[in-house]
Amino acid sequence: MTDSALATNPAPVAAAAAPKLVVRDLHFYYNGFHALKGISMDIPEKQVTAIIGPSGCGKSTLLRVFNRIYAIYPKLEAKGSIELDGANILDPGYSLNRLRSKVGMVFQKPVPFPMTIFENVAYGIRHHEKLSKTDMEGRVEQALRSAALWDEVKDKLKQNALGLSGGQQQRLCIARAIALRPEVLLLDEPTSALDPIATSRIEQLVEELKSQFTIVMVTHNMQQAARVSDLTAFMYLGELIEFDQTEKIFTKPGKKQTEDYITGRFG
Amino acid sequence: MSALYLRRRVTNAAAMTLSMLATLVGLAFLAWILWETLRQGIGALDLKLFTKVTAYGEDGGLLNSMVGSLVINFIGIGIATPIGVLAGTWLAEYANRTKLGESIRFLNDILLSAPSIVMGLFVYTIIVLPSTALTHGSTTFSGFAGGVALALIALPVIVRTTDEMLRLVPSTLREAALSLGVPQWKLTLQILIRAARSGIITGVLLALARISGETAPLLFTAFGNNYMAWNPMDKMSSLPQIIYQYANDPGEAMHALAWAGAFVVTMFVLLLSLVSRLILSRTKVSHD
Amino acid sequence: MPATETAIPATDILEQRSRRDARHERLFRWLLLGCALIVLASLLGAAGATLWGGRDAFGTFGWRFLVSSEWDPGNEVYGALVPVYGTVITSFIALLIAVPISFGIAVYLSEVAPTWLRTPVASAIELLAGIPSIIYGMWGLFIFAPFFADHIKPWLTSNLGNKPDDGKLSWVAEHVPFVGKLFGSDYPFGASILVAGIVLAIMIIPFISSVMREVFQTVPTRLKESAYALGSSTWEVSWDIVLPYTRSAVIGGIFLGLGRALGETMAVTFVLGNAMHLSASLLDPGASIASTIANQFSEAVGLQKSALMALAFLLFVVTFIVLLIARLMLRRLASKEGR
Repeated sequence: MTDSALATNPAPVAAAAAPKLVVRDLHFYYNGFHALKGISMDIPEKQVTAIIGPSGCGKSTLLRVFNRIYAIYPKLEAKGSIELDGANILDPGYSLNRLRSKVGMVFQKPVPFPMTIFENVAYGIRHHEKLSKTDMEGRVEQALRSAALWDEVKDKLKQNALGLSGGQQQRLCIARAIALRPEVLLLDEPTSALDPIATSRIEQLVEELKSQFTIVMVTHNMQQAARVSDLTAFMYLGELIEFDQTEKIFTKPGKKQTEDYITGRFG
Repeated sequence: MSALYLRRRVTNAAAMTLSMLATLVGLAFLAWILWETLRQGIGALDLKLFTKVTAYGEDGGLLNSMVGSLVINFIGIGIATPIGVLAGTWLAEYANRTKLGESIRFLNDILLSAPSIVMGLFVYTIIVLPSTALTHGSTTFSGFAGGVALALIALPVIVRTTDEMLRLVPSTLREAALSLGVPQWKLTLQILIRAARSGIITGVLLALARISGETAPLLFTAFGNNYMAWNPMDKMSSLPQIIYQYANDPGEAMHALAWAGAFVVTMFVLLLSLVSRLILSRTKVSHD
Repeated sequence: MPATETAIPATDILEQRSRRDARHERLFRWLLLGCALIVLASLLGAAGATLWGGRDAFGTFGWRFLVSSEWDPGNEVYGALVPVYGTVITSFIALLIAVPISFGIAVYLSEVAPTWLRTPVASAIELLAGIPSIIYGMWGLFIFAPFFADHIKPWLTSNLGNKPDDGKLSWVAEHVPFVGKLFGSDYPFGASILVAGIVLAIMIIPFISSVMREVFQTVPTRLKESAYALGSSTWEVSWDIVLPYTRSAVIGGIFLGLGRALGETMAVTFVLGNAMHLSASLLDPGASIASTIANQFSEAVGLQKSALMALAFLLFVVTFIVLLIARLMLRRLASKEGR
């Protein structure tokens, strides 16, 4: 049942290369600082797009514009447009509820809520849908299975989530995000706080999830981008330098700056 | 060795000795005060303290004062906790770095050390006086008025700890919940306050410790009562008030009763601060 | 499957939900703001209530209320000078004693003491802050004041005062101005301005020392290490590096202690002797604003009650200003740290 439920996700069936997110001339300012300078890119559906670049290049900022999470802080401003299925999400009329049910996010450090494992996953669903007890249990199980966590936690769903290991907590956060059945999944350096074994489990998981979600992932680890992503964007000082097939970026980069970064000459 | 070196070394040794002496002086006074409270208090402990009311004077106990203290403290904490937690939440989550928020945070810190006797007079003016007017002259001091006075003293303590504890909650937790589309008020009530729970409880316990020994604001609000009173609309006795009354009495036996009351209050307050310290140290460990 | 059902009217439901959330959010904000404004209201209310209660006294005596030392309920004449003087002088004595001792404690606990000793000693000193003020009052009344009268006061009066028991003035009393008056007394009991000042000092030591200790710990280690590397002694680092770096917050801590001392009621009421007349001697009894209110308010009527309210207003305004300065000074270090 797990796969069929996810397959009925109300996403328009389109060619694999069809853009899911269309970014046009995106500028971002905080406290007057020009953090993103005219970014334009098409992020294709159901593929993994990695964003790389030295720290401070604006890659996390870009990701945080995709679900407007930046809006909880004062004095931040985004200009330009980002179209999700044809509607501009930066339009103030675009409801945050709608945006955040369509675009899920996983953060650098695992942040389980101070409640049970079950409640962690159910909490977000409960805000968007009214489900019966059994439906809810099904949804939670399905999300935990998709996040490859079910077998490890099925006997301790009523325990506090803070008792899980770091890697398990991060997969719980992924389960929590996909439980809402988003269309886009944003991963902000999801493995930077994890050990190598936990990291490889998450990478494997990203591989599996891309059949269902459009994944955008920020990483400081170039090997990770090369291993996991289909497309790679290289950013530097708030500008998008190059955006192409991952293979091409890592073997035949088109720009000198990209090559310098990839070969470790700076950053 | 030059004279300069010698002088510097002597100065340093003298200063270090003095700083140690200062610490010893501080500790000595602590020991002296605690020792006398224990010695005199335990000497005066008697079963009648807990079974008889103050109406019997020398032969009586402190039962009505203990009950009164419990009722008044309960009212005080009961009023101050919800208001304080919500106000602290506003400071930390909604008004952080806004002008109004900064001003109220600042004024709350001042309220924290405002003279409690003035707070007592304030409550006298807004509760005791109007109720006197309503009942045509019979002065209506009440346990409730005492509770409100104590609430005003507990309030800034709770506001401050709630504010501080919420600001310790990592902002990633807020982002994680908001990225699920959860509205801010739900996030605040269901996740942030829960995450800061033990810190907030510590604040409430500290506030309780603070008000349990407060005397001045009760003198003109709860007033005192030699008989047992459960109704918060009656005049009510309390331990600090009876200690004050008995200590000023010329009779030796009354002094013994006052020491017994002082012993009970001190133990209660020290126990509370011990418990809150334990809770706080446990939270710090789990946060890291 | 429920998923297919929610898919069709999803936008409608989302719109409704957004509107509902916005409504709840607004209600919640107003509720929180209302609670926060209670903090503001209680400060304004306390000032307003005492000013209103004291209007008769202010109206009757005008500025003479502030400068007259007469307090005569029989003739309905009230002046604030005696309690105001008592409040100021006891707090001043308290600071004189508490500041150096607190500084010593803070230096000892942050620079000198072995690490394993720091936390337990600091907690013990902070325990002192948790003891209710009425306990200090009782200890002062029954233990310290008699001790003072038996052991300290005789020495002070015969060696420094101008009214020694044997009638022979000491060298100090004869040659140093003021000292003879300050310590001259033929009042036989311990309860006095000096004892009240000492009890207050013990009360505020934990406040001042814990603020000092906290701010000393904010001094960057590299700053201290570079001074030690030049061969400075512990004392030199404390006096030349730590103290200047934290100066404004240290002053803030002292003012915080002063604010506490000014408004303290119970500890003072027990040991001040409650005499409504002015005396130059620190060994004579006196009165403070808070002790006068605590002693007289229950029985006061009419103009006397109003005069007591007026006193409370004065006390509130003065402590407000002192605490305002304290917080502003403390804040200066906090903003320095933030940068």
